[in-house]
Amino acid sequence: METLDSLWLGFSVALRPDVLWYAFIGCLVGTLVGMLPGIGPLAGISILLPLTFGLDATKAIVMLAGIYYGSQYGGSTTSILLRIPGEAASVMTCIDGNAMAKKGRAGAALCIAAVGSFVAGTFGVIMLTLVAPPIAAFALRFGPPEYTALLLMGLIFLAYMSTGSLVRILLMASFGLLLGTIGIDVMTGHFRYSFNIAELGDGIGIVPVAVGLFGLGEILSTPSRRVTGKVVRPRLRELWPSRAEWRSAGMPIARGSVLGFVIGIIPGSAHIISSFISYALEKRVSRTPEEFGKGAVAGVAGPESANNAASTGAFVPMLALGIPTGPVTAVLIAALLIHGVPPGPTLVNDHPNVFWGFVASMYVGNLMLLALNLPLVGLFVNILRIPYAFLYPLIIMFCVIGVYEVNNSIVDVWIMLIMGVLGYGLKKFGFDPAPLVLGLVIAPILEMSLRQSLIMSDGGWSIFVQRPIAAALLAVSAGLLVLSAIGYLSRRKDWRAKLAEAEAIKNP
Amino acid sequence: MVFAASGDLPFGSLSAPGAGMMPKLLAGLMMLFAALVVAGAAQSEALAGIDWSDRGHAALLVVITAAAVAAYRPLGFLIAMAVLVFALLVLVERRKLLVSAAYSVGLTLFAYWLFGKALRAPLERGLLWF
Repeated sequence: METLDSLWLGFSVALRPDVLWYAFIGCLVGTLVGMLPGIGPLAGISILLPLTFGLDATKAIVMLAGIYYGSQYGGSTTSILLRIPGEAASVMTCIDGNAMAKKGRAGAALCIAAVGSFVAGTFGVIMLTLVAPPIAAFALRFGPPEYTALLLMGLIFLAYMSTGSLVRILLMASFGLLLGTIGIDVMTGHFRYSFNIAELGDGIGIVPVAVGLFGLGEILSTPSRRVTGKVVRPRLRELWPSRAEWRSAGMPIARGSVLGFVIGIIPGSAHIISSFISYALEKRVSRTPEEFGKGAVAGVAGPESANNAASTGAFVPMLALGIPTGPVTAVLIAALLIHGVPPGPTLVNDHPNVFWGFVASMYVGNLMLLALNLPLVGLFVNILRIPYAFLYPLIIMFCVIGVYEVNNSIVDVWIMLIMGVLGYGLKKFGFDPAPLVLGLVIAPILEMSLRQSLIMSDGGWSIFVQRPIAAALLAVSAGLLVLSAIGYLSRRKDWRAKLAEAEAIKNP
Repeated sequence: MVFAASGDLPFGSLSAPGAGMMPKLLAGLMMLFAALVVAGAAQSEALAGIDWSDRGHAALLVVITAAAVAAYRPLGFLIAMAVLVFALLVLVERRKLLVSAAYSVGLTLFAYWLFGKALRAPLERGLLWF
C-alpha cells in the first residue's frame, strides 16, 4: 500500500507537463542515439549532460534515463533495416531481424521489437518499483567495510560477465581507479598528481573521460567510407505482424523480460549479455531451431525484450545502493551528484520526488517510445540517410561544447581529446574502456570506504571477514575469480566466449 | 611513473592510511595485471594483425580537433566551431567548398542558438562581440 502511495506521488511528478516534455525529449534523442552508428547511449548521455544543468534533478534524470532506454528501442531499427547494430545490445537482433526484412517482413520485425521492448520495459519498471525500496532499506545497514566489499564485488562481477579477458578488464578498472585518485585527497588535503594545473585539483571528471573514450574514440576509428547509407523504408501498413507472428513472439517476450531484468541487476554489460542469453534460450526451447538465422520471430522478440528489461534492471543497484553496474549508470550517478542528489539507500526517503518521479516517468516513457517507434519509424529511417560524413562533425562539435560546458574548462576538453586517442588505441589493442569509466566513478567511494574500514579496525584486514555482509560479498567475489580461473585453465568455450563471437558481428 | 610522481605523498600505515596509499596500491596492481597480460600474449591477436588502415583518418581528426580546441577561447565558439566543421568536411571528407561552408556556418549558428540562446549556456565570445 505504501508503495502504491509513493507511486501515486511519482505519477503526480511525472505527469507534470514540464517533466513530460523532458521525458519526451529524452526518449526522442535516445531513439536517435540508438539508431545512429558511432554514437551509443553513453556518449549520447555524456554529451547532453551539460544541457541538464539548468534543470532540477528530477527533470535531468528523467531526460537522461529516457536517452538510455530510448536507445535500446532505437538500436533495433538499424539492426533490422541495415544489419548494423546502432548500439551493442542490438547485435543479436541483426541476425533474425534483418533476415525478416529480407523476406519483406521488416515492418513486422520492427513492430515486434517495439512491442517486446515496451512489455519488457514496463515489466522492468514494475519490478524496479517493488524491489528497489526494500534493497535500499537493507543497504542502510552497510558501513565502510560492506561498501568496500560491495564495490570490489561489482568490479569483479563486471570483469567476470565481460566477454574479454578478466585480467585485461581488471587492468582497465585499476587504471580507472588510479585516474580517480587524481585531485585533492579529501581525508588529508594533499594534492595528488595535479602538476600545478588548478583544474586537476578537483580530479578528472567523468564526462570528458566518457565522451572521449566512447564518443570521440568511436568516431576516430570509424572512417565515413565504412558507413553505408542504403536503407529499406518500411510502409506503415506493413507494420502489423500476422496472427502467427504474434503467437511466436508472446512467450519469447515474457521470457526475455524476466531474464533481462534479473541479468540487468548484475554488474557488467548486462543489456548486451541478456540479449545473447535470451537468443540462446529461445533457440534451445524452440520447436523449430533451424529457423533461427533465417528470420525467426523469437530471435527478434526475445533479445529485444531482454535488453530493455536489463536496462531497467540496471537502475536497481544504481538507485538503491548508489552503485553503478556499468558506464551508463555511472554517468547517471554523476548526473545526480551534479544536481546535489546522492543516489543510494537514503534516496527514497530524502528525495522521494526524484526517486518516485523517475520511476513513474519510466512507465510514461515506455508508452511514449511505443508511440514514437511505430508510427514514426519511416521518419526516423530518413535520418539514417544523412551521410555519415556530415553527421560526425556535428557529433565532434557537440562533444567539445558538451565537455566544455560542464565546468567552463578547456582543460576538460583537452582531457576529452586525450581520452579519444586513448579510446582509439584501446580498441585497436582489444581493451574494453567501460571498466575504466566505472573505476573512475567508484574510485572516491572505494578509497574512502577502504581507508575508513582500515581506520575502524586499527589496520586489521580481518574487519572484512568479521562482518557477515562484507564476508558474504567477498566470498561471492572469490567464487567468481575461482570460476574464471577454472574456465581459463580448462580452456573450454563458455557462454562469454560465445558472446564474444556474436559481438564480432558488430565489429568484423 | 606513479611511484615517481608520488614521491612526497605519504603512504601512512594500515591504521592511518595516507594520501599515497591507494595510488601506489593501484599502480602495483596495474603492474601485476600488465605482467599477466604480457604473459598471456601468445593467445592474443598478433600486433602485426591489427588493422591500422584508419590511422590517417584518426590522426587528421585529432589534429583538426586539437587546433579547434586551442583556438576555442581566443577565437570564440562561432569561429572555432565553424572552422572545425569546415576543416573536417574539406580536409578529411573532400567535400565541395561551398557546400562545406554553408553546412558548417548553418550548423554552428544552429548550435549557437540551441546552447547560447535556448539553453542559455555561456559560450566563448572570443573575437566577436556577441
